[in-house]
Amino acid sequence: MSFELNGKSYETDEDGYLLDLDLWSEEVAKFLAEKEDIQMDDKHWEIVNFLREYYREYQIAPAIKILVKEIAARNEMQKKDASAFLYDLFPNGPAVQACKIAGLPKPTGCV
Amino acid sequence: MTEKAKREYKTVEHGPYDYRNDTLHPVVLKNYGKWKHHDNPRPGVLVSVAESGDVLYTVRAGTARQITVDNVRTLCDLADKHSEGYMRFTVRNNVELMTTDESRIDALIADLEQAGFPVGGTSNTVTNIHHTQGWLHCDIPATDASGVVKSMMDELMHEFRHAEMPAKVRLSTGCCAINCSGQADIAVIVKHTRPPRINHETLAKTCELPKVVARCPVAAIRPTRVDGRLSLEVVEEKCMYCGACFGACPSMEINHPEHSKIAIWVGGKNSNARTKPAIMKMVAHGLPNNPPRWPEVNKVVKDILMAYKKGGRPYERLGEWIERIGWKRFFEETGLSFDVDMIDSYRMARTTFNKSAHIRF
Amino acid sequence: MSTKDNPSNSNGKFLNPTPILDDLEKGPWPSFLTGFKKLAERTKKTMIRGVLDQLEYSYKTKMGYWKGGLVSVVGYGAGIITRYSLIQDKIPEAKEFHTMRLQPPPGLHYNTKMLRELCDIWEKHGSGIVCMHGQTGDLMLQGVPEQNVQECFDELNRKGWDLGGAGASVRTGASCVGPARCDDSCYDTLKVHYEVLKHFTGLVHRPEFPYKLKFKFAGCPNDCVNSIMRSDIAFIGTFRDAIKVDNAEVKNWVQKNGMDSLVNNVINRCPTKAITLKGEGIEIEDKDCVRCMHCINVMSKALSIGSDKGLSLLMGGKSHLKVGSMLGSMIVPFVKAETDEDIENLIELLERIIEWWDDNAFDHERLGETIERVSLKEFLKGVELEPDINMVNTPRDNPYFKAEF
Repeated sequence: MSFELNGKSYETDEDGYLLDLDLWSEEVAKFLAEKEDIQMDDKHWEIVNFLREYYREYQIAPAIKILVKEIAARNEMQKKDASAFLYDLFPNGPAVQACKIAGLPKPTGCV
Repeated sequence: MTEKAKREYKTVEHGPYDYRNDTLHPVVLKNYGKWKHHDNPRPGVLVSVAESGDVLYTVRAGTARQITVDNVRTLCDLADKHSEGYMRFTVRNNVELMTTDESRIDALIADLEQAGFPVGGTSNTVTNIHHTQGWLHCDIPATDASGVVKSMMDELMHEFRHAEMPAKVRLSTGCCAINCSGQADIAVIVKHTRPPRINHETLAKTCELPKVVARCPVAAIRPTRVDGRLSLEVVEEKCMYCGACFGACPSMEINHPEHSKIAIWVGGKNSNARTKPAIMKMVAHGLPNNPPRWPEVNKVVKDILMAYKKGGRPYERLGEWIERIGWKRFFEETGLSFDVDMIDSYRMARTTFNKSAHIRF
Repeated sequence: MSTKDNPSNSNGKFLNPTPILDDLEKGPWPSFLTGFKKLAERTKKTMIRGVLDQLEYSYKTKMGYWKGGLVSVVGYGAGIITRYSLIQDKIPEAKEFHTMRLQPPPGLHYNTKMLRELCDIWEKHGSGIVCMHGQTGDLMLQGVPEQNVQECFDELNRKGWDLGGAGASVRTGASCVGPARCDDSCYDTLKVHYEVLKHFTGLVHRPEFPYKLKFKFAGCPNDCVNSIMRSDIAFIGTFRDAIKVDNAEVKNWVQKNGMDSLVNNVINRCPTKAITLKGEGIEIEDKDCVRCMHCINVMSKALSIGSDKGLSLLMGGKSHLKVGSMLGSMIVPFVKAETDEDIENLIELLERIIEWWDDNAFDHERLGETIERVSLKEFLKGVELEPDINMVNTPRDNPYFKAEF
């Protein structure tokens, strides 16, 4: 699968995750967000940028508990509230939507 | 606007389906928590007696586990006819219908049998087999599950219908080495015999390398570069072919049509009755993965069952039988052979060594 | 689901030939394959035809051809198991074959109305293939295309159904038949299952743990729901006071089964030799009894569980991956689970345990593995539990620990 943006073609897998992570840009992120019915605001960008920085440093997406703790700390929230906050921003889940918009590889496996 | 954005319905996070919302048979509801004793008058039939004097008969029947809306509707018809519109399932994929009228048991059994659900699976039978998803639905299976179970139960039909074993017998099959099917008296589980082949083409694109490295229980995976690309390699001397990396990354291709073999494990027991719960032990391996009937696997399972049926004493579970006669005689009586790979070499190996002068001749 | 584009093949039948699989239609045990084929011929759903073609191909090549993906419903990060075919070029009809995991009622008690509703909704949106039930305890609806997932879920949700867990979440629970039909049930497994899973519902739907966490609820030490092996936290019913002996019924039992059976099958099989023959009856030394359930199982009418009932919590059960199989070990020997307050206290303890695990576990580490790595001593300190001799088989046999001075 693929999509076109500003005359450029981008390959994705069947869930819409970018296959070449180096091709990510803010325009691409906005395009992917739109497909998920997400209007990117500062809060969304903060999470997407955190994911990308974390990935650049460790070559893995942060475990969801790390993401939740980070959000809790930045917003002075309880963990439970941070999780709800995260799902308000990305209703189909951070793994499905935030990672996709941030251009990270698709989380794998069920065991 | 997309469909998703138009959605107005707001999800209710129910959790488990509310069992208080009319899921219980009226006699069950009336005597809830007030049962006095129970018995197993014949294979496939249970009787529960309540303090109130109420008597409830339960008829148990096997299902294929992988069933369809048609099968469920058939069961609903039978439950409406015989069981006041209620039914329950056991954790081993058997279905149970209930009646208070002893004279209707035969008709209920006949209807279940007629509809293709064999009655049995209680007390000292070989009951329905716990199994996983296999080639039908799993993303990491080396073999099938429903087909293995079908072929095995075809051969064990007599034991499902007749309570002739020394004690209850629980079987399970698992479709990879992780064994999602759990512990059982006899378990059939995949055992790979080669390290994973690494698909360098796809690896760095689809997998998080540090995660794959961390997943290996024996630290056999390390980063490397292949044709200038970041990738991974497997230290073959360390790898013991568990396939844990494959669960984290589909590019670590562990499954193989010939080299993924099947092993048989025995003596698992979750009940606390008599002896403490026990983890099963491997007694055969290297069996071919041979669809659609897996005859080599079925033969070993049957040989073990028949030796146990002959030698086990009343109430002795398979593992308890082995505990009494010793592993040496177990191998003799089943015709299996012990080999060096059955000596543990993993983390807790020494706990399985014979730290005594007790021997059997 | 679309039933368009489903031309019959050259032999005039809807389904393509599956000669290898067809062997599994023979024999006396119910055949999953026969069910699938009948369903396909009746509904003309192309997805089932594709899945059968792909399964036939797997049987031929001895390899699996599904890969995972990520599909979810609004507000949830778990509950849909995504499957795409790896051989879409060969068999396009099986392109998508996603599963919806549903949380069944505790104890798997159903009425026919709810099941008929479920079947109707499922046949409308999905393949009509059902698994009753998966190893964790889910009712699985297998085979739905992504575009139908949300609508199918919404309809099910309106009827009281909810999705189960997947990934690093609290997983769907499982409980035995419990007080609904069993005289050995030492607590209300259905109620405790329901209350605990209801309390942790958010953590079922939105994974945020190091790894999966499973609860299972067994009414007595017979553990019919396999909790000691299959759950991180096993609730196993037990009782503190003596087994009740009705010696008149013991006498009846002996008349029916013989004195040799009483001696060989009951008294001699007691693991702690707690039973002695006394005249024509038996006596059980309560201080020696470990509540294994054997004698009660054999003589259901004559012997029964005590009155001071509750449950034990055992923790750390898991299967092979990655350190080898582990059985749960005793952590809380006895706790009451009768009143709402008892259950609240129990849930409060679970919160502490989960919090400790979440803080201490490595990625992909189950509760039992974390306790073993960090030590039971540190775990007890972390969750504020007192050490108890019932937690171990023996005291330690080496001197290597940090002694207090």
